[in-house]
Amino acid sequence: MGKYLSLNSDFGIEFITTTDMKKLTPQQLSTLHDHLIRQNTNDRLVSELLDHLACEAEEYLWKGYNFDLALAKITQEANSMAVKYLRDTYQHEVAMTEEQLQNASLDDIIFEFRNKDYGAYDLRQAYPFALRSALILGIGLFLMMMAFLSGIVKGSWDFYSPSGLMWVLGVSGVAYSIGSWFLKSRQLKQLTTT
Amino acid sequence: MEASSNEFLRGTLKTIVLKLLAEQGRMYGYEITQSVKERTSGEITLTFGALYPVLHKLEQDGFLMTESEEVDGRLRKYYSLTPSGNATAVQKVSDFERFVEAMQSLLRPQNGEISLAKL
Repeated sequence: MGKYLSLNSDFGIEFITTTDMKKLTPQQLSTLHDHLIRQNTNDRLVSELLDHLACEAEEYLWKGYNFDLALAKITQEANSMAVKYLRDTYQHEVAMTEEQLQNASLDDIIFEFRNKDYGAYDLRQAYPFALRSALILGIGLFLMMMAFLSGIVKGSWDFYSPSGLMWVLGVSGVAYSIGSWFLKSRQLKQLTTT
Repeated sequence: MEASSNEFLRGTLKTIVLKLLAEQGRMYGYEITQSVKERTSGEITLTFGALYPVLHKLEQDGFLMTESEEVDGRLRKYYSLTPSGNATAVQKVSDFERFVEAMQSLLRPQNGEISLAKL
């Protein structure tokens, strides 16, 4: 956008170029951001609303208000009532359909209007896999240790004895869990790079 | 006027957004509110509380696509129509025009009555 459409015809200017525009400083932007966070804004809308309010603020600045006054006007407009209205309308409009709900997991429902990129969603998604791998790895290591100890105590080694069987089971358990973890992390890397 | 115009607006918001995007190609949220305000000389003002749910709904339905760009240290999300959004825009606008015509014939004074507007 090279040009900015002015609404205020009092000034008698219809177009001004963006270079003349007053810009918000990073500090002022973060003040607006804090305001949005304090009002409990929907995660998915924060960055977009920040841009919206910043545009409004810049328009006020351009009209000759100072930032504090502009901020007061904006926070008055974007008060908790307005943000609550936004959240309610949003959840009503963009809610999952019946069909989506049928296939949604508990995580999908919990995180429907929350920030999935933050990390908690991924952790929850990976939890069953991590738990299973850790369990198999733990049992495998335990079996290997027991077999090793009993081998030392006996002073002889036979793969066809109970301790030999335990050793084989333990090794395969450890190999399985490490192998599947390795495959999974490679898959994830491919998913994120493509 | 304020309360009832909000009531009328609720059903037509999607049509307004689709129509504007069909004309302008690519817009961001604030631009849409300003464009509506300007073209209706301030008669219709969209609040962010009404606009963004509709934008995200249309995106979810596959009518809009978005691209984010960094502008002055903040992310700006631009919306544009997808092919199916284009078709829907045409459909909705023509539906709405028919509706407005029907409303006008309802509002037109019947025989024997004198319209206040004419006085």
